Amino acid sequence: MKKINIFIVLLGIMVSSCEEFLTLSPETALSSATFYKTEADFEQAVNATYAPLRSIANSRSWLLCEMRSDNTIYARNINFGATEQQEDISDHALPEADGITSNGHVLSQYRQDYLIIARANQILSVIDEVEFDQTSKDNLKGQALFLRGYAYYELARYFGGVPLHLEPVTAREEAALPVSPEADIYNQLISDIQASISMLPVRSSQGVGRASKGTAQMLLADVYITQKKWAEAETLLRAIVNSGEYELIGNYEDVFSESVGNKNNMESLFEVQFLEGPEGLNSSFLYSFMPRPISSQELQPITGTSNTQGLDGEGNNVPTPDIIEAFEDGDLRKDASIAYVEIEGSDREDKVYPYIKKYAKHHDLHGNHGTNWPIYRYAEVLLFLAEALNEQGKTAEAAAYLNQIRDRAGLEATTASSQSDMREAIFKERRVEFAFENKRWFDITRADRVQEIIGAFGQRAMANPLDYYYPEGATFRDHAFSNITKYYALPAAEAEITPHF
Amino acid sequence: MKKNCYQFLDSKQLFTLLAALLLSFASYAQSTVSGVVRSEGDNETIPGVSVLVKGTTRGTVTDLDGKFQVEAAAGEVLSVSYIGYATKEITIQGGQTQYDVTLASSMSDLSEVVVVGYGSQLKKEITGAVQTLDGDDLMDIPATQIGQKLQGQLAGVQINQTTGRPGQGINVRIRGQLSVSAGSDPLYVVDGFPITGNISTLNPDEIQDITVLKDAASTSLYGSRAANGVVLITTKRGKAGQSSVSLNVYKGLQNVPHYNRLEMMDAVEFAQFKKEYYEDAGRDVPEMFQNPSSYEGQTQDWYDALLQTAPISNYNLTINSNTEKMSTSVVAGYFDQEGVVLNTDYERFSLRINSDYKASEKVSMGFNIAPQYIRDNTPRTDGSRGTGILFNALHAWPNMPIYDDEGELTYYNRFPAETGNIFAYPNYVRSALEITNETKQTNLLSNAYVQYEPIEGLVVKSTINAEIRNSKYFYFNPSTATQGINIAIPAVASSVRDHYDHFSWLNENTVTYNKSINDHSFELLGGFTNQKYRRERTRISANTYADDRLPTIQGAINISRGGTSSDVQEWSLTSFLSRLTYNFKGKYLMTAAIRADGSSRFGAENRWGVFPSVSAGWVLSDEGFLNTSDKVSFAKIRGSFGVTGNNNIGNYTQYALVNNTVNSVFDNTVVPGAAITSLSNPYLGWETTRQFDIGLDLGLFDDRVTFIYDFYAKNTSNLLYNVQIPQEAGFGSFTDNIGEIKFWGHEFSISSRNTEGRLVWTTNANISFNRNEVVALADGIDRVYGSYHITQVGQPFGQFYGLNKLGNYMNQEDLDNSPQVPGRSTVGSIKLEDVNGDGIITRGGDNDDRTIIGNPFPDFTYGITNNFKYGKWDLNIIASGSQGHQLYMRHLYSTANLDGVFNMVAKATDRFRSPEDPGEGIFGTTVGGGNVTGIERDWANSNFVWDASFFSIKNITLGYDIGKIANVVKAARLYASVQNVYIFTPYWGGGNPEVSQDNGSGDGGNLSPGVDLTGYPIPRTFTIGANITF
Repeated sequence: MKKINIFIVLLGIMVSSCEEFLTLSPETALSSATFYKTEADFEQAVNATYAPLRSIANSRSWLLCEMRSDNTIYARNINFGATEQQEDISDHALPEADGITSNGHVLSQYRQDYLIIARANQILSVIDEVEFDQTSKDNLKGQALFLRGYAYYELARYFGGVPLHLEPVTAREEAALPVSPEADIYNQLISDIQASISMLPVRSSQGVGRASKGTAQMLLADVYITQKKWAEAETLLRAIVNSGEYELIGNYEDVFSESVGNKNNMESLFEVQFLEGPEGLNSSFLYSFMPRPISSQELQPITGTSNTQGLDGEGNNVPTPDIIEAFEDGDLRKDASIAYVEIEGSDREDKVYPYIKKYAKHHDLHGNHGTNWPIYRYAEVLLFLAEALNEQGKTAEAAAYLNQIRDRAGLEATTASSQSDMREAIFKERRVEFAFENKRWFDITRADRVQEIIGAFGQRAMANPLDYYYPEGATFRDHAFSNITKYYALPAAEAEITPHF
Repeated sequence: MKKNCYQFLDSKQLFTLLAALLLSFASYAQSTVSGVVRSEGDNETIPGVSVLVKGTTRGTVTDLDGKFQVEAAAGEVLSVSYIGYATKEITIQGGQTQYDVTLASSMSDLSEVVVVGYGSQLKKEITGAVQTLDGDDLMDIPATQIGQKLQGQLAGVQINQTTGRPGQGINVRIRGQLSVSAGSDPLYVVDGFPITGNISTLNPDEIQDITVLKDAASTSLYGSRAANGVVLITTKRGKAGQSSVSLNVYKGLQNVPHYNRLEMMDAVEFAQFKKEYYEDAGRDVPEMFQNPSSYEGQTQDWYDALLQTAPISNYNLTINSNTEKMSTSVVAGYFDQEGVVLNTDYERFSLRINSDYKASEKVSMGFNIAPQYIRDNTPRTDGSRGTGILFNALHAWPNMPIYDDEGELTYYNRFPAETGNIFAYPNYVRSALEITNETKQTNLLSNAYVQYEPIEGLVVKSTINAEIRNSKYFYFNPSTATQGINIAIPAVASSVRDHYDHFSWLNENTVTYNKSINDHSFELLGGFTNQKYRRERTRISANTYADDRLPTIQGAINISRGGTSSDVQEWSLTSFLSRLTYNFKGKYLMTAAIRADGSSRFGAENRWGVFPSVSAGWVLSDEGFLNTSDKVSFAKIRGSFGVTGNNNIGNYTQYALVNNTVNSVFDNTVVPGAAITSLSNPYLGWETTRQFDIGLDLGLFDDRVTFIYDFYAKNTSNLLYNVQIPQEAGFGSFTDNIGEIKFWGHEFSISSRNTEGRLVWTTNANISFNRNEVVALADGIDRVYGSYHITQVGQPFGQFYGLNKLGNYMNQEDLDNSPQVPGRSTVGSIKLEDVNGDGIITRGGDNDDRTIIGNPFPDFTYGITNNFKYGKWDLNIIASGSQGHQLYMRHLYSTANLDGVFNMVAKATDRFRSPEDPGEGIFGTTVGGGNVTGIERDWANSNFVWDASFFSIKNITLGYDIGKIANVVKAARLYASVQNVYIFTPYWGGGNPEVSQDNGSGDGGNLSPGVDLTGYPIPRTFTIGANITF
C-alpha cells in the first residue's frame, strides 16, 4: 500500500500544477491584454486605422459616388447577367423598403467606415494612459481623430443619421447604438477634425502620405462647404493656400499617381495609398473601370502588363456621353481623363467605348497596380475657395481662383460675372476638373439638385439606350431611375441585427 | 470471440495458472498422460491452456504447440480450461495415455466482453446504448477508410460519403448530433487514446473491433469531448495461444457507371438550345448553331474525359507470435488506389506492432507502435464553378474540342463573342493531369502501458500515448493549366506549400478495484489524465514562375504575402474521472460515472466542467416470471441519463486577438499595422448536452433473434455561437455560449439467424429516426440565414430557405393576374409564391417572400445486411438507405443558366418556350436575359430542391472456402466483391444522394447541409480477394 500512497502524493503534485498546464496563450497572435502598451503599438494601431480606406477607394466609393452620378454608367454586356447590385446603383433602382436596402455595396461601405471608427476609438480610449513623447502622441492622436472624422463624414453624406460610436466596444451589449441625428454626427466629426488640426504637423513635417494639418483643414473646409458655412470654410482654405505647402502642377495629366511614381506630389493633400506587388496592398480599380468583354490584346496597350488576361462580365464606371459633352472645346483635361477602346467582342454595332484614362498607368502584372486614389488635391482647395468667396458675394475674387484652374486646362478665363453664373461655372468646372474622382455625386447632393439633374439624366438615358452602351434591341430595366434619392438607405444586413433600425 | 485487449487474464485465472505451474514440479508418481488442445472450428492448437487434475493440486499448462503432459491416474478427471472457452472435463481411462481435447468457444453473443470507456464489460451487463462491430466482418469491403465500411451497419449512426475523393469525405453523425459552429464529429479513441488526427488514415485491417458509444452514460467518462458520441477502436493484439501468419489481399477495378451521372446536353442538343435561344429572342442565330444536326456524333464529353477505370489493391500481412510471457501482433499493410478521376492516386504504407509482456505475476506491460506513410494526389475536383474541375468540365460546351487536329490536348477553348461564349474554358483534362495537388503524411501512433496488481482485484495502470503527424501539402499550377474558369492559357503559375506538424501526448493513470461479495459485485474506477496538443503550421504561397519545370519557392517571382503564414495552435486538458459499477446477481445493474475536465480552451472564469451520468438495467429474463417462457431467452430494460460536453470551440476563442498584419502603405513603403479583430469572452465554455436514453434488449428463440430498441432525447445548450453583432461595433461577431437544440429519436436493430443447418442465413437490420429542433438562439435573434438555408427557432436545423416556385407564368393573362417581381417577371419566367400576400415578389428585407422550401434531414435511415453460408460458399449483401431528405441542387445556378453561357442539364431541352410550348415546367423562358432568367438562377428557390431519398446496395461479396492446401496453407478463402452496386433514387442532380458540400461558408457545413455541387463521383468497385492463413 505504500506504493499507492506515493502514487497519491504524485497525483497531488500534478494537480497543483494544473492551472499552469491549462493556461495557454496564443503564440502566433497578440491579445488585447498585451497590446496598446508602447508608442510602437500605437503607431501600428494608427497604421491599421488607415487600412479600410484601401477597400473603400478600390471597390466602393466610385460605385456609390461616381457611377451614381451622371458622369459614368454601368455598361451592359447582355451576354452576361449576374451583377444587378452594381446596376441598381448606376440606374437608381436600388431595392428599398422602410429606409433599408439589401444592396451589398452600401453595406460594405458602411462596415468599412465603422471599422475605421472602431480602430480609432480603441486608440483614443487608451493612448493617454501610456506615457511617451507628447509630440509623437499628438501626431498619432491627431491621425486617429482625423480618420474618425473622415469616416463619420462619409457616413453622414451617404446616410444622414447613423449610430455614433465613440468608445471601443468590448461586450456584446455595447455593439448596437440608436441612430443619432445627422446634426449630432456633424457636431462630433467637426469637433474631431478641429482637434486633429491642432495636433497634426504640417505636411512637410509629417510622414509622407499621412494626414497632416493641411489635410485636416481641407476635410473640415469640405464639411463647412457642405454645411454652407462659407466664411468658416474660407478661413481654413486660405490657411492652406498661405501655408505654402501645396501648389498646382503645370500639366494636368501629370497630377495623377502612377503605379509606382508621382505619388503624394505637390498638388496632393491626401490620397489613398496603394502598393503594386504581391503584398496584397495593391489597387486594381483600373480593371473595374474597363468596358467588357475586353480581350487581352485590347487591354494590353492600356495596362502594359506582361501577363494580360481578357476581362468578362459587365463594365463599370464607363464615362457617359454627358460627361464627354461637359468638357469645353479645347479643354486639355478631356484627353487626359477619357480615352477610347475598340472591343471586338462587343455585341454593339459601334464597338468603340470610352474609358477612364486618368488612372490608366502602365504596371507590371495583370490585376495589380499601385496607383493611389486622390482624395483631396490643391485644385480643389482653389475651387472650394472660389465657391466660398462667391457665396459670400466676393464673385470677382472667386473668378481669380477659378481661372487658375481654367488656365491650366488651356481654357479662357471665365465669363461669369453674376453670383449665380459664377456658382454654375464653378459647379461645371468641378465636374470636369474632378471627373471620376468621386466628387460629382456629393456636388449634386449638397446643391440639392438630385431630382433635377439625375431625373433628367435618367430620361435622356432611357430614351437613348444605344448611346448608353446598350446593344441593339436591349435597353434599361423597367424600373430604372425609379428610386432617385439623396441618401442611401441603411444596409439590411445591419438592420437585421440591430434593434434600432 | 471477443476479448478486451487490455484485460489480461483475470486474477483468478492467473492464480490457477501459477498454481498449476508450481505444482507441476512437485508431482506425485502417477502414470503420465499427454495430449494436444485445439480450438473448435479452426482446429488451431492452443498454448497456455490450464490442465488440472480435479480435486488435486496436480496440473500444467499447454506449451506453444498446445501440448501438455500431466501425471494422472485412471478415474481421475482432467479439467481443461481456458479463458473464452467452455471448460471441458475428461475422465482418464485406464490404458489410454493420449488425449486430444477440442475446446469450444463459450461465447454466446451475450457473454461477449465489450470494450467500453476505460475498461470492458460483459455485454449482458451493459446499461448504456453501445454497439460493437467485429473488424473481421468488415474485411471484404474494399474501401480506403473505415467509415465507408461502417455504412448501414449501425443504428443511430448516420454515415454519409459526401465525396468520392480517396481518403476523404466521410461524415459521421451519431444520433444526429450537430452544433452551430462547434465540430460535430464523434471522438475517436484508438486503444484508449483519443486521437486528434483523422480516423480515415487508419488501415482498416488493423482493427479488431469497433464500439460505438451513443448515450451519455456510456460516453460521460470522456467528459467535454463526448457530446458527439464516442467511437472506440481496438486494434489487433496477439491472442494468447495462437501463432499464425495470414495474408489478406484484394485487387480490383473502379469505374463510374453511366446510370447515375448527371445528364448534360450533347452537342446536338446544345446547338439546338442555342439556336432556339437566339430565335426566341428574335436575334440572328450565330453560324455555329444554325445547323444543330451537323454535330451528330461530334459530342465532346468533358466529364467523361476526366474519368478512367482505375485499379485498387490492398495487401495485409498479419503475424501473431505468442510465447508464455510475450504476445505480439504485427500488421503490415500496403494500400494503393488510383482514383476514377485522372491523376488521382492514394497510397498507404502502414505497420502496426502491438506487444504485451508479462514481466511478473503482478506486473504486465504493453507497447503499440503504428507508423504510417500516406501519399495522395487528387486534382482539385470538388468545388463550385471556377474552383472545382468537375463542375467546370461538366458544363464546358460540348462542341469545344478536347483534342486538337494533331491529337494533342487543347489548352483552352473560346469561341467568338457572337456565339455567346463569354468564358474561356481551360482544358480540364490538362487541369487534372498537369496540376499537382499532393499531400504526404507521416503518422506515428503509439501507446505504452504498465499495469500492477498488488492484491487481487486491485489494478493500477498508467499509460503514455503519443501521436505524431506530419503532413506536407504541395500544390503547383503550371502556366499550361488551371482549374478555374475563364482563365486563358498561359495562366499565372502558382504554388502552395502547406506543412503541418502535430504532436499530442496523453498520460492516463487509473486505479480499478473489483470485488464480489456474495451476490454483490462492484467495480470502482478512479483516474487522472493529462493531454496536450500542439500544431505548427507553415504555409508558403508563391506565384509567377519563369519556368514550369522548376516549381521551387525561389523559382517564383512573387511570394504571396496573403497566402504565406505560420501558426501555432495548442490545447491542454486535465481530467479526473471515476466510475462505480454495481450489480446484484447479475440482474440488477447500475453504473454511475463522472469526469471533470479542465481545458485551456475554456475561459479563465469558467475553466472546469463536470460531466456526470447514471444508468441502470434490469435483466428481466433472470427473474422467475419470465423464465417460464421458452420464446424469450433474454430480456433487459435499461435507462440512462447523463451530461456530456463538446469542447470543439477553437483554441483561443476566449481571447480578444490582435491581428498584426493589418498593414498599410505610405509612399510605396509597407508599414506594420495592428488591430483587434475579435472580442474577448472570459466565460466561454463547452457546449453541454443532457441526454436521456431508455432501451430494451431482447433475445428470442434461444437468442436466434436479438432485438434492440432505444429511445433517446437530448438537449444541447450553451451552444458555441458566433453571435452576429452589428458591425457598427467594428466587429462582426461575439463568441458566446448561447442557444439550445433538442434532439430525439428511435433506433431499432434486429439480428436474426433465419435458417440454420446446411444453409445458414442471417440478417442484421437497423432503422433510425432522428429529429432535431432549434429551441433558442441568441436573445433577440430567432434565425440565422445562409445563402439558401435558414436555422430558425421552432424548426429543425439548416432548412432550405428561399422562394417557393409555383411554376412558370404560362401566358400573358397568368402574368397579369399574378404577383410579379417588379420589372423582371415576364411570360414564361419563374412564378414564385407571394408568401406575405402584398402583391409583389420580394427577396429579403421587410417584405420578404422567402419561406422554408425543403429539409436536408431524412425521415429515417436504415441498413440491412444479409449473410448466407452454404457449405463452403458464403454470400454477404449490405444495403442502406435514407428516406425523405432533400438536396439543394446548387449546381443548377450554373448548369441550368438559361442565358446560354454554359452547357446545360439535358432536362433544360424541355423548357418554356411559348404559351403553346410550355415545356415540362422545370425551366423557364430564356427570353429577356439576366434580368429575367436571373430570378430563377440567382434567387434561392424551390426549383433547386429535389427529393434525394435512396436505397443503395453498398456491397455484395461472394466467398468460397478452400480450406487447407497441402501443409503450407492452413486455411484459405477466395472472394469476389462489388462495392456500390446500385443506388435506387429519384434524385437526378448527380450520382451521389449522400452529398453535402461545404461551400466555404466556414460553419463546418452544419448550417448549410445537403448542398450538391457535383463532387467527386463515388465509384463502383469490383474486387477479387483472398484470405490465406499459413
